[in-house]
Amino acid sequence: MSPVVLLTDSPDDTAAAAAALLDGWRVDVRAERELAPAAGDAADVGAVLVTTDNPNALRDVFERARARGIPVVVGCRNDAVRRRAVELRADEWFLLPATADEIAARVRSAVARRVPSGAALADRVGRVEYESMLYDFLTGLPTLPVMIERTRGLIKERGELIVLYLNFVRYSKIEEIYGWEKLDAVLETTASAVREFLAESTLSTSRVMVSARNDDDFVFFHVPPAGVAVATDAEITELVGRLEQFVAARIEAAHGEEIAALFDIYVGRAHVYYNPKMRLERLIYRGIREAANAAKGIEERERARKVADLRASLRDRAVYIDYHPIVVAGTREVFGYEALARGVMRSLRSPEVMFEVAAEADLIWELSRLCRSRAVEGMRTRLGPDELLFLNVDPHDFADPAFNEEFEGEVADPGRVVVEITERTAIKDYPKFRERLKAFRERGYRFAVDDAGSGYAGLGSIANLEPDFIKLDISLINCIDTNFIKQNLVETMVRFANDQGAMVIAEGVERAEEFETVKRLGVHLVQGFYLHRPEAHDGPGPAARVPGSEREPARAER
Amino acid sequence: MADAGQLPTILVVDDNQDNTEIIRHYLEARGYPIIVAYDGEEALAAFETVRPSIVLLDVMMPGRDGWEVCRIMKQHPALGRAVRVIMVTALDEWEDKRQALQTGADDYVAKPFDLATLAATVERNAALLTAGA
Repeated sequence: MSPVVLLTDSPDDTAAAAAALLDGWRVDVRAERELAPAAGDAADVGAVLVTTDNPNALRDVFERARARGIPVVVGCRNDAVRRRAVELRADEWFLLPATADEIAARVRSAVARRVPSGAALADRVGRVEYESMLYDFLTGLPTLPVMIERTRGLIKERGELIVLYLNFVRYSKIEEIYGWEKLDAVLETTASAVREFLAESTLSTSRVMVSARNDDDFVFFHVPPAGVAVATDAEITELVGRLEQFVAARIEAAHGEEIAALFDIYVGRAHVYYNPKMRLERLIYRGIREAANAAKGIEERERARKVADLRASLRDRAVYIDYHPIVVAGTREVFGYEALARGVMRSLRSPEVMFEVAAEADLIWELSRLCRSRAVEGMRTRLGPDELLFLNVDPHDFADPAFNEEFEGEVADPGRVVVEITERTAIKDYPKFRERLKAFRERGYRFAVDDAGSGYAGLGSIANLEPDFIKLDISLINCIDTNFIKQNLVETMVRFANDQGAMVIAEGVERAEEFETVKRLGVHLVQGFYLHRPEAHDGPGPAARVPGSEREPARAER
Repeated sequence: MADAGQLPTILVVDDNQDNTEIIRHYLEARGYPIIVAYDGEEALAAFETVRPSIVLLDVMMPGRDGWEVCRIMKQHPALGRAVRVIMVTALDEWEDKRQALQTGADDYVAKPFDLATLAATVERNAALLTAGA
């Protein structure tokens, strides 16, 4: 029987070693350009292993191999190739570099899929289900059980392992505000950036493996090769600092400033020493827990520092307001601005962070008061005479009787102020809530219900609040151009709002396609990164310029 | 792309054989390659071998319901990205659509549906496939 051929463009030994691991296979290495023709012509080809990053060559290989029913396995050099492999529906793909063992396993799996088999239904189904449990589908990173298996031999040999635990603080916040799809995208960007950084770093020569846990943190296993000293604490600290900057820059470029401001990473480490008396899995899981706790420790120290920063900021009134334009969808004229408070101190630049710290230090009331006061102060200088100010009010403040009086003094023209309340507030304290709303309305204030459609309340509850404006939940707008269910929901909301005599605001519009879609669906007002050019970081600047609008800012933008 | 110009393969999942026959007939006449599965298990098994670009998934099925199947398909490491799942549901309320979003569904068709609506829904999702969304 002639041997089965593993056809490949990979010149290095691992492909040959992989073939050797497969019973009765041999490897046939061709130059990149010759792989596709060979896939079309060569005899006895069991599978094609392609590692090129040239998209045309890749596509050609697929065409030829598919025509002959030959499975294709792609070794991906980078994320672009990985995406391409998924699009072309590769039978299997893996990330380079990989061991011969892994390659052999992938080839075996690819071949098993192609052969019409008497495999039990349950096996097939089981495999589909369990795939996502072994490898994180978003990032392509192996999950912990897989990582442990892979490093087992290494750890025994070297005797020790360093576990680094990367705690991405506030990723849960991203999910809370923007929805799971957005966090998925951010995790993908993160994993990609981390992998790239590691490839260039000093750790790249050692065996570093990254695993995605089931939540949103990452775990590194670092096993230095024989003869090389384990990285010192100082080296790791320095490396982590650079990693943080690298990833933050990537996230800002891919997802914008607001989200990047929520990126914060604490890294804890632990040393695991191999002990033949103990089970390796337990040693490793304990190490991971220790590293996680260390990360938590750093987080706690940072928090104390931030509380100090906040107290100083409150004392010095060191808060400035970013006015985010809300524009009319049809004309792009500025309708009003939402006031977003930011700390002047860098550590408190993100409003989410600032308020989170305030909540923990029991300073919410003072902070809210300061922010509102700043927002209203700015009305005179930053807003045109007919433009409305959209102001967020914390649910707790709304219940505070002192809140009523505070506003009395500061706001000259309540008719120009729209109070934003999240739809979740109302649920807790319903009848009382409506009373307060009535009191405010009598003085001329209007209301916007925020996070509408996020799933906490049905349309009926929103109707009961009789809002003047309905702000759609950000997660509904994200990628609305490709999701028809979201389009349907927004359409329903628009109809509902028109019946109520309310206007719909779409928040979080980041791309032209999202803008065009919401406009088409009849949304009245639009807000988001697509329309808002962030101001200079070191303080307040001229009012944001809205692309395509007629109104020019008073001074030139920096 | 290797399949440019060819219509995408559609996996139709419904425990009612009459429904699947009607849908299969109609869409095949329009040139779509169709594979049929009668329950969630068969659908998942077929998903792996057939690798459909579009899945028409009935929500109410014995055994695994459509929501579960949708979630598993959309989370599949190699295949989840490339597939668009259209839920076929008798439920048309706001809450049901929110649930659909949770599981990762891309679109839905309300039962009872007419075939023209079905075709239009399939077409608009197919259009997003070639655009390389």
